[in-house]
Amino acid sequence: MSEKDKKGSKSENIGITEKEISRRKILQGMGAVAGTAALSLHAPYIHAKQKEIRFLNGEPSVQSVRAMRFAAAQYEKETGIKVQMDTVPAGKAFEKVQTSIKGGRPYDIATLIFVGDVLLLAGENKLVPLNDIIKKYDWGPNILFPMDGNNYWYPYDYNLCWINYRMDLYEKAGLKEPQTWDQLNENMTALMGDGENKTKQGIVHPIASSGATNYTSFGYLWANGVSLLDDDWNVVLDDEKNLGRTVEYLEHFQSMVPMMPPGLAKAGWGILVGGIQNGQLSHCPGTGRLIDVINVKNSELASNLGIFPFPSPDGSNVALNHGYDGWVVLDTAMSDEALRFMEWFSDEHLINFLHTSPVHYQPTRMDIYEDARWLSHPDIEKFSHITSWQKRFLTDENVIIKSIDTEGPYPDMRAGKIFRSYALPEMLQNKVLKGMPADECVKIAADKMREVIAG
Amino acid sequence: MRGDRSLYILFFLGCALTGVLILYPAYYAVQLSFFDADSFISTPVWVGLENYKTVLADSEFWSALIRGIIFAGTAICLQILLGIGFALILDSAIPGKIILRGITVLPYLLPTVVVALIFQWMLDDHIGILTVLLENLGFEEAATWANSPFWSMVLVIFVSVWLWTPFVTVCFLAGLQSVPEEMYEAARVDGANAWQRFWHITLPQLRPVLLVVVLLRAIWMFNKFDIVWLLTGGGPMHGTEHLPILAYRKAFDAFDVGIGATISTISFLILTIAILLFFWRFPIDERK
Repeated sequence: MSEKDKKGSKSENIGITEKEISRRKILQGMGAVAGTAALSLHAPYIHAKQKEIRFLNGEPSVQSVRAMRFAAAQYEKETGIKVQMDTVPAGKAFEKVQTSIKGGRPYDIATLIFVGDVLLLAGENKLVPLNDIIKKYDWGPNILFPMDGNNYWYPYDYNLCWINYRMDLYEKAGLKEPQTWDQLNENMTALMGDGENKTKQGIVHPIASSGATNYTSFGYLWANGVSLLDDDWNVVLDDEKNLGRTVEYLEHFQSMVPMMPPGLAKAGWGILVGGIQNGQLSHCPGTGRLIDVINVKNSELASNLGIFPFPSPDGSNVALNHGYDGWVVLDTAMSDEALRFMEWFSDEHLINFLHTSPVHYQPTRMDIYEDARWLSHPDIEKFSHITSWQKRFLTDENVIIKSIDTEGPYPDMRAGKIFRSYALPEMLQNKVLKGMPADECVKIAADKMREVIAG
Repeated sequence: MRGDRSLYILFFLGCALTGVLILYPAYYAVQLSFFDADSFISTPVWVGLENYKTVLADSEFWSALIRGIIFAGTAICLQILLGIGFALILDSAIPGKIILRGITVLPYLLPTVVVALIFQWMLDDHIGILTVLLENLGFEEAATWANSPFWSMVLVIFVSVWLWTPFVTVCFLAGLQSVPEEMYEAARVDGANAWQRFWHITLPQLRPVLLVVVLLRAIWMFNKFDIVWLLTGGGPMHGTEHLPILAYRKAFDAFDVGIGATISTISFLILTIAILLFFWRFPIDERK
């Protein structure tokens, strides 16, 4: 019996002809079934799909990631909404946000560490305002960066840059916290040398074209009352008032160079932490991160660290370099859910998160400084000499808090562009590495700033 | 028939991958170069050739181009010279030849980021073993290389040569295996010395390999980003900033995506013209 005969007989057995069950018929039937199935299943599937908030976390330390994931799990338990937490180094967050938008799946919430990036996203209508959440709390100064009357970001910490110093060495040498540039140099000189209770160098300030230089090397400039821009966005660094003060700053910086380690042009965050951790430096600019990092590795050394703001030449002012981190909510299909999550997180879990780097994550909300939950962390108590300074930095009107990226009459991309042009680090390089006259260095920097703003 | 179908499938897959991963991004970059945009999410504004005018009038661009040519040119010359030298040594009858060949390839197997970290440690200002060595040899300025544009350039060239000479060595070593021994024997009979054998037999026989290696190394070194970025970040004082780093800095750091794309496009054009000239001057297909 042939194959055809076999098929024919089988068809006949079930009462239909072979013509009736042709391949086309079978395919048509299968297509109809699949189509019906897809149509009938599609809508309920969408409705049944779990809602998800995509959160780009920019704090990659183990403790911070753990705290964020814990909060996400809690939120899912309470609301059934999943919070998908992706983590990248903060410096790479904006690139990731851009690619997520271009890729058609933007994050719902993202960490940003640079006001220029926030302004850029807000300007492109990619963010939703956080006004309702923001107005619930009392905030510290110069941290909300509103745009056109709206608050587009939730700042979770100040990263103010101050000078860390070895309190134990100061005590043994009978030194006092410096009030002027000369006193600072004298203290560093007194502590430099060979042997016990001495350090090889006094301080390190990076001069590379990098964010580290922008954050840690210009506190003295702000303390000397220098402004980069006036209220009309004109560059005033080299005008009658500021030129002399900036020249003074450069001369002071040059006077500290012999007390710094070699290789300033490649110095970065690692050298700052390492220098004070290995006992090579008696002073070091930095944020609370430095103290938290050292506290993990060498708790005793961390206990011996104190802080003071950048002094001025005559002791009339003190200054800190501004720094901050925050979250933004992007304009997505999940924006409303993301806003609800932000509000819930802000009330329920923010303090837990801040505790994962207790000195570094300096609260931006003034209510937290009085909150028993925040105060209860052992490291807040251990470093009370630092955290009390931190609060004073925000409340004392004589403390100047400035940075390149926040200069100008209001938050604007122009200041961000000056920050990223590295005009001021290049001013230091021209002075320190090329030995150019200070006033010429200032003029070059001012011209570059003008060029950047005009471009 | 089945073989033909597989061939077509593989061909179209290759075309699709090239299109998605190479042609479209390249097209997008070229397209961006005609727009003014602060970021990749900004609404780009058409500016025509304005970006090209700006870049070509910018001294930063020309300085970066010259630095790129110095970096790539010097590194390629050294890699070729050393690569041929090492290949000749490894091709000769030396004891432990097989082990030596394995060791020679080692730097090429290391991830670039690992190499950059190793050299940064070896050249650390305080504890670097090379720093101490250089200081003892009297090169105190070299020990503080990070402050000097010249010594930073020397460093990136040195590390590039260390890292990629093994590739050149392996290519030449493979080429040497194809040179007939009879040619050397005939030359010896004719009284040719070692240099004459190298110059008149080895080098001409290695010509096709040499041309391909020079071409590949030129493309790779001119576009080399990772090792320079990891070692110096383009500094100090822009001393090691070549076109790839300048383009990156403009696009991702300075809120100027249009200018970054323009620099990349010009860099691509320069390289394309250089390659066409190379093919015109040194045709690789000898059957012609």
